[in-house]
Amino acid sequence: MFSQLWQNILEWLQNLFFQQEMELTILGLQNAGKTTLVNLISTGDFTDDRIPTVGFNMRRVQKGGVTLKMWDLGGQARFRTMWERYCRGVSAVVFVIDAADYDRFDTARLELQDILSRRALDGIPVLVLANKSDLPGAVKDIDEIINTFGLTEINNHEVSVYSISAKNRVNIDVTLQWLIDHGSKKTSASTAAAVVNPALHNSQQSTPAQSASAAPTTSTETPPSTS
Amino acid sequence: MAMVSDERALAKYKDEDMIMSPLLYLVGQGDRLTPEEATEVFFSVTKLFQANQPSLRRLVYLAIKELAHTAEEVIIVTNCLTKDINSDVDMYRANATRVLCKITDAQMVQQIERYLKQEIVDKNPVVASAALVSGQQLIMHNKGDVVRRWVNEVTQALDHKSPMVQYHALALLYLIKQHDRLAVSKLVQSMCQQGARSPMATVLLVRYVARILSEEVTEGTEYKDMPFFGFLEHCLRHRSDIVMYEAARAIALLPNVSPAELQPAVSVLQRFLVQSRPAVRFAAIRTLSMIASSMPLAVTSCNADMEVLISDPNRSIATLAITTLLRTGSENSIERLLKQIQNFLCEISDEFKVKIVVAIHALCIKYPSKYYALMNFLGNALREEGGYEFKRAIVEAYLGLMNKIPESKETCLSHLCEFIEDCEHAQLSTRVLHLLGKEGPHMPEPGKYIRYIYNRLILENAVVRAAAVSALASFAAESASESLRKSVAILLRQSLMDSDDEVRDRAVFFSQKLGLEAYQKKATAPPGPEEVAELQEDTKQGMNIPCPVPNLEVELTRYLSSGIFDTPFDMTKVSKAALVTSKDSEVSARNESLFGDSTGPDAGLGVSAKAQVDLAEEVMATPEFSSFGRPFKSCPPKDLTEAETEYTAKVIVHLYEAHVILEFICVNTLNDQLLEDVFIQVDTSDVSGLGGMTIVPAPRLAYGEPSRSYVCIDRTEVDEYPLGQLACTMKFSVKDMDPTTGEADEEGYEDEYGLDDLELDVATLMAKPGELPSSFKSAWEALGPDNEVADSFMLEQHDSISSAVTAVMDLLGMTACDGTDNVNDRARGHILLLTGVFVPGVQVMVHAKFVLTSECVALELVLRSELHAVSELLANSISGSD
Ligand SMILES: Nc1nc2c(ncn2[C@@H]2O[C@H](COP(=O)(O)OP(=O)(O)O)[C@@H](O)[C@H]2O)c(=O)[nH]1
Ligand SMILES: [Mg+2]
Repeated sequence: MFSQLWQNILEWLQNLFFQQEMELTILGLQNAGKTTLVNLISTGDFTDDRIPTVGFNMRRVQKGGVTLKMWDLGGQARFRTMWERYCRGVSAVVFVIDAADYDRFDTARLELQDILSRRALDGIPVLVLANKSDLPGAVKDIDEIINTFGLTEINNHEVSVYSISAKNRVNIDVTLQWLIDHGSKKTSASTAAAVVNPALHNSQQSTPAQSASAAPTTSTETPPSTS
Repeated sequence: MAMVSDERALAKYKDEDMIMSPLLYLVGQGDRLTPEEATEVFFSVTKLFQANQPSLRRLVYLAIKELAHTAEEVIIVTNCLTKDINSDVDMYRANATRVLCKITDAQMVQQIERYLKQEIVDKNPVVASAALVSGQQLIMHNKGDVVRRWVNEVTQALDHKSPMVQYHALALLYLIKQHDRLAVSKLVQSMCQQGARSPMATVLLVRYVARILSEEVTEGTEYKDMPFFGFLEHCLRHRSDIVMYEAARAIALLPNVSPAELQPAVSVLQRFLVQSRPAVRFAAIRTLSMIASSMPLAVTSCNADMEVLISDPNRSIATLAITTLLRTGSENSIERLLKQIQNFLCEISDEFKVKIVVAIHALCIKYPSKYYALMNFLGNALREEGGYEFKRAIVEAYLGLMNKIPESKETCLSHLCEFIEDCEHAQLSTRVLHLLGKEGPHMPEPGKYIRYIYNRLILENAVVRAAAVSALASFAAESASESLRKSVAILLRQSLMDSDDEVRDRAVFFSQKLGLEAYQKKATAPPGPEEVAELQEDTKQGMNIPCPVPNLEVELTRYLSSGIFDTPFDMTKVSKAALVTSKDSEVSARNESLFGDSTGPDAGLGVSAKAQVDLAEEVMATPEFSSFGRPFKSCPPKDLTEAETEYTAKVIVHLYEAHVILEFICVNTLNDQLLEDVFIQVDTSDVSGLGGMTIVPAPRLAYGEPSRSYVCIDRTEVDEYPLGQLACTMKFSVKDMDPTTGEADEEGYEDEYGLDDLELDVATLMAKPGELPSSFKSAWEALGPDNEVADSFMLEQHDSISSAVTAVMDLLGMTACDGTDNVNDRARGHILLLTGVFVPGVQVMVHAKFVLTSECVALELVLRSELHAVSELLANSISGSD
């Protein structure tokens, strides 16, 4: 089922002759679910291994003529200073948060603000993913997420946010869609918006996903809309 | 700079193929990057993990390995490498293993341990070897705790089909067990019996066997009677020539091997001399040359074959053949050989030229009657093209000869004078000038040296000019001749206006000090002869450094690096005893002799450059004792346990004016125990002059890792010398440990372990002087008869002069002067001259006359020292021992 989603997206991608490759960097504290998400995107399976990433994990998915490169970086404090090195020149930065780990919200907010304040990253679109929405007590409300992580205070970046669950595959489709839309600066939002395919939704997980864009001060693009 | 642009190129080229050449360039360049540059390049390289192309990935591994030392945060690739270890491409697995073990730390190793263990037993030889070699690397870089738990896997790998894997497995197994003698012995024994299939592994085995033999041999036993020796002899008949060679070399290197035991090894090497492969001939002649330096007679049987090698197309082989023949040949072949060397001296590398010079030097000593011909050879060699090391060896050879063969002095000096006329090495020129200043004034015609010195003064750079000024001045300081003083004064006049400060200062200093100004200015009358004598004496006194120069250098360096300058540096406090150094650590010293490139005892001329460590380094770096400064003497490490015991302990005794510090180095050879709070309890009740004690325990003593603990004992009075037996007991708390997991029990229990007594004798308190007197006679007279003690003894347990001489030297711990420790086997009488420094800096000299009588050896001993009590103590120690 999931590979079906891929199939559709790839077909669409192949139609865009200028859109042959995109490069992403996945950041976030340890245990947020970054590696899980990257595995899910590249294999279509949810794997529950608990080995923390020591350093970084490089995933390169090639289907047809399209290549998706993902730099999944270790979240431990000793690796955070190195995040910046893997952000330069990428199409987008994805910041994953464990939405049920209240204790570390503050740390996550500070790290997010810190990395996005680097000049080298200016203008790179950012997608904040509040993961593990399936867990009881997880913060799912978009406005609450925007407030908690101070997303309106971020300048020089277009910031979007989704509540997702890698485990139950909730809002993975919109996440992919967002990635495709931001895969290249040449892609216009209006073309991208056209590909959202509601048929790909996992209807069992009917949590209404919300999304919002925060502080698009420099961007003229329309934020992704609620699916 | 080039690197920075490379890095940009790396980042820019996303295309894998285009990236290879800059990367290769990067690895091959070999020039050092700054940490920042290296880090930049490193991170750019990590981005290449996105490509999955084997040839590129191999370059990535290489680059990471090269950058691992300089770049920061290399740990970031851990995850990528772990993934590669788990991939199904064997090349990835092998290479990633090596790189990962290189960048990882001791803690991280535990996370990858299970992969490594699996790889060791992998069918693919490349993968298994990579894991085994990485295990060795981990141990050598102190990350090897986990490796000790792999014994089962590694033992399994010993039976691998591939000879390479067998070889690596044996090497690792040995490293794991190296601190446990019994285990090593068992391992080697079982391997010897079953026989390794791979010649490489057999070579290793030969080395291990040789090591065991040299450690276990005791006085009076012959290697022939030791079971392991049979294995070496067996290997001499192995089908592989590397094994045969290794066995021959191992036998040749055994300490005190007898000619009979050596003979079969020499025959093997002799057969190799006529082999067609140059490498084999080279190995054989090199080893024979090493044997020849200590046992020339054992090699004479090869003389005919070596003669043939003189015309070998390979010059290295030819050189070794000649230098060996110079040792083994007869006196009348020397001149012919010298001619042959002369023919190709210009064709060989400096390294071999140095070897030849060393051999010639040794010949001069052996056949003093031939010194003239040999010296001419050296003189010609000095005029040859050659680098600094070669020229230095020649100059050193001259210096050595002058001391050993006094009648050669004049010829030596005139050769050296010619040499500095055209010498491009300022260091050698200054040395020769210093020598001319020292010796020239006492030669029959001092005047003839002055011209050579003066030439330097007008032709050379400032460093050499300064040395020339001092040399000239020394003629004025030593000579009573007014005309000579006057010429020196006039020659020095121009240096008074030299453009260089140092040259000018020296010229002014000596002119004033020695009363030469009168001749230079013509204003005042020159001083009269008595006044001159006074000035000369005064100058010489002032130039005198009260301690050996190397000691002064060491202490000055320490003073400057301490950063504490509250008290001025005091030259008189610098120890007069020779600095005692030892080979790095025992382990590395052994490795050196086993695997290293030991060229034999060629060390006579200071050409050997083995790493030496300061024995006092650890104690001076211990915070509790750092304020004590350098000890007067540090004794070489002494074992306090038998070899194969649960715990082993060694002690280094450090003597200070007011303390004795015992530095204990303990090793725990039980892999199921962790010791904590380890200290040595020392009972001083049998030793006089010792008081309060400070103990610094070793916090932990893990299996196989040496740890240090200290006992500092105060001395109660300076002239109450600490002599006698110290009873030592090792005390500690034991925690039992699971050797496979490395986990120790929470609770420990107290235990103790008895060590051998430590004896403090006269020799312990006696140090070698930093500088031997150039003439015993003048030093003896300078010391004077004030504290002289004379006594005579009958040494009843000795029936030869040489054993008596050795016994007296050992007993007193003193150093022989003027080569008087060489005793002619058939001599009926002998005079031994000794010098030494007694704690804490008392100069001692001994004149000992031995006469062989019908039943025993009679000794007439005269002792002089700076303290009467010391003279008596030493004389008594001889009567006490008899
Ligand atoms: N309940 C739940 N667990 C998740 C989800 N995503 C990841 N996890 C779990 O979170 C843990 C950490 O995931 P990992 O991907 O290693 O985190 P990383 O350190 O950010 O790479 C793993 O045990 C995952 O199975 C999710 O959506 N829901
Ligand atoms: Mg991870």
